[in-house]
Amino acid sequence: MSEGSTISGTRTTVREHEGDLVVESAEVVAEDVVVLTLVDPDGDSLPPWTPGAHVDLILTEDLIRQYSLCGDPSDSRTIRVAVLRSPDSRGGSALVHDRLRTGATVRVRGPRNHFPLIASPRYIFIGGGIGITPILPMIAEAEASRADWQLYYGGRSRASMAFLDELTRYGDRVTLVPQDELGLLDLTTILGDPRADTLVYCCGPEPLLAAVEERCATDWPVAALHLERFAAKVSQAPAGGERSFELVLAGSGLTLTVPPDKSVFQVIEEAGVSVLGSCHEGICGTCEQVVLDGEVDHRDSVLSESERAANDAMMVCVSRCSSDRLTLDL
Amino acid sequence: MPPLTSPSARGTNPSSAALPIDCWYALADSASVGRDLLGVRALDRPVLLYRTTDGRAVALEDRCAHRAYPLSLGRLDGDVVRCGLCGFGHAPDGACVAVPSQPQVPLGARVAALPVAERDGLVWVWLGEPGRSVRHRVPELPWLTGDGWGVVGGQREVDAGYLVLHENFADVTQVPFVAPEIAPSVLGGQAPDLTVEVTETTVTLRRTFPPAPLPGWQASLVGAAAGDDYATAHAGFFLSPAAWVDHWDVTGPDGSRARLRFTQLVTPVEAGRSRVLWRVSRDFAVGDASAGTRVAGLFEEYYGRVFTAMETVQAILDRDGPGPEVNVSADVAALRVREIIAAMLAGQRPVRAAQRAAHP
Ligand code: FES
Ligand code: FES
Repeated sequence: MSEGSTISGTRTTVREHEGDLVVESAEVVAEDVVVLTLVDPDGDSLPPWTPGAHVDLILTEDLIRQYSLCGDPSDSRTIRVAVLRSPDSRGGSALVHDRLRTGATVRVRGPRNHFPLIASPRYIFIGGGIGITPILPMIAEAEASRADWQLYYGGRSRASMAFLDELTRYGDRVTLVPQDELGLLDLTTILGDPRADTLVYCCGPEPLLAAVEERCATDWPVAALHLERFAAKVSQAPAGGERSFELVLAGSGLTLTVPPDKSVFQVIEEAGVSVLGSCHEGICGTCEQVVLDGEVDHRDSVLSESERAANDAMMVCVSRCSSDRLTLDL
Repeated sequence: MPPLTSPSARGTNPSSAALPIDCWYALADSASVGRDLLGVRALDRPVLLYRTTDGRAVALEDRCAHRAYPLSLGRLDGDVVRCGLCGFGHAPDGACVAVPSQPQVPLGARVAALPVAERDGLVWVWLGEPGRSVRHRVPELPWLTGDGWGVVGGQREVDAGYLVLHENFADVTQVPFVAPEIAPSVLGGQAPDLTVEVTETTVTLRRTFPPAPLPGWQASLVGAAAGDDYATAHAGFFLSPAAWVDHWDVTGPDGSRARLRFTQLVTPVEAGRSRVLWRVSRDFAVGDASAGTRVAGLFEEYYGRVFTAMETVQAILDRDGPGPEVNVSADVAALRVREIIAAMLAGQRPVRAAQRAAHP
C-alpha cells in the first residue's frame, strides 16, 4: 500500500482465499499420476467452484503450481486434484509425488476459473493425457444438464491414462485413444462437423492444443473453441531486448515507469496498489487488468486471438506495451 | 484517492434484467410451507409450495397443466393438488393423475416439479435445469436454527433488483448513515483497513475495529458495564446470488464474546423486484423473550429503511439509466460480486430458453 492511501481512511487489500489443507488420501491411479484428496483439517467446508476451476498448490514459497479440480463440486468437504510426475517440470510435480503423502499438509490458494463451462446443447470434449482433469467435472455437468456430448481422450498408453474406470459409466459417449494402440487423436474426424450449437473444450499438451486451435480456425465459429494451457506458450522478447514505457493507473491517479527489467505487475505492486497474481507466467489469468489506452504487447497464454485484438484487457505479469504509454483502469 | 483494484477486466455491469438461474434460492421459511397451498413468484415464474402428508416439502410450477390457472388457488386432496377451476389432480412429482370429466388422463400431462432442499429452517428451491441441482450446494447457515442462537426476522418484497441489493450489502460504508442509532459506535470513526478475499464464486470482506462502547441496545442485552469498550470484528460474505451473511462479533474487556449473524436471503422475483428474508441471530440474551421483541423491532425498522433506500436506487436506475459511477476502494467487494454474477450469467442459457426447455 502506498503511504498516502491511509490519510483518507480505508486501506483495501484484495487477496484470494488461501488455507492449509490436509492430504486425506494420495492414490496412484495411472503410471506417474497421483490423485490427491484434500480436506480442511477442522472439517470446515471448502469454497464452492464450478467445472474448469483450478487451485494453486503452494509447495514452497516460490514453487507454486496450478492443478485443475477434478472432483464433485457439490462436495463441500473435499477437493481432488490429479498430478502427473513430469520429468521436465521444475520440480513441482516431483515434490507433490514425493512429499504429499496421506496426512501431509499443503497450502492451497483459490479456487479460480478461467476455463468455465458455458451452457450449450452439445459439446465436444478433447482431453490429452493429464489434460483430462478439468474435463472430468465438465462431462459430469454436461450429463446432468442433459446435453449431447462426446469425449475423445488420448494418452500414450492405457496404463498412462487416468480415470478410465470412472469413464466407463458414460458408455459410448467416451472414445479412448491410447497412442500405442490407435495412434494420435484424429482431429480431422473429431472436428469434421462444425456446428453452431456445439462448443469444443480441450485441455492437454501444447502440440494437441495447437493442432486443435489450427483445426478450429478454419471452419468453426470463433467462440466455439475453449482451451486451457497449463504451460506457458513460448513468447519472446522483441529483438533488441525489452524497452521501458510509461504506466498510468487511472483510478489511483499514479504515473509510473516500467523499466526493461521489471514487469507491469511488479511496478504496480511497488507503487502500493493491491493486485491479485498467482502464476506470474501468464497462464492462470489471475492478474488480468482493464486496459484504457496503449498498444498491449500480449505475452500470455490465457487470452484468445480475438481477445488480444480487442486490446481492452491484459495479463500484467508478463504482457508489456509496444507504445510509449500504457493506461490501466486501476 | 486510495488505490482501487479491479481484479478482472471482462464482464462487469451485468444487465439487471438477466437472472442467475444456476443457484438454490430460499423461497420460504419452513414454517410457512405446510398443508395450505402457498403460491410465490421466483425468477419470473410462479411456484407452488406445500407439504405432503408425510412432511416432505414440494415445489411445483404454479400453473395448471390444463389452463392458465394457478394451482395455489386449488386445494390439497391427500398429496394431490386439485385445481380450483376444473379439478385436474396433480401428484407431488407434477404428473397429472386425475381428470374429472374422463377416466383417462391425457398422456404426459404434467407441470414442472422443481428440486427442493430443506435446511436450516428454509425451503430452498432449484429453478434451473433439474439435473444440475445436485451439482450445486445449498449454503450452510447453522445459526438460523442451531442451539444457542436466538433468531428474529421478517420478509419483504422489495422493488429493487437482486444486484442492487447485493451491492448494498457489500457496501461497508453505509450503515452509520442509514441507521446511526443501531450502528456500532466504531463505525462513525476512522474506517479500519478492509480485506477482501475472493474465490471463484464467493467474496468475503473483513475488518476489525479498535475497542469502543457498544451501541445502547446491545450494551444492555450483553450486560456491558458503563465505560466498557468492546473490540468489534465484522465479516461479510457473498455466498451466492441467494445469500449475503454478516458476522458482527464483539469481545469485551474480560474476553467475553457476543456474536451477531445477519442473514439476508434474496430471491429475484423478476428483474427489478426481489423478495428478501432477513434474519438476525444472536448468541446473547437467547432465552430472553423481551430481548427478542426488542431486537426484532429495531431491525424491522432498520431493514425497512435499507430496503426503501434500495427502492430509491432502483427507481433512479430505471428512470435515468445507469449513469457514470465513481468507485472508491471500499467498493471493491461490490465490484467483485458484479463480476461473479456476470460470469454466472455469461455461462448460462437465457432464463427464458431454459424455461422453454422445461416446458416442451
Ligand atoms: S499471474 Fe497468472 S496470468 Fe498473471
Ligand atoms: S385450469 Fe386447472 S383443471 Fe382446468
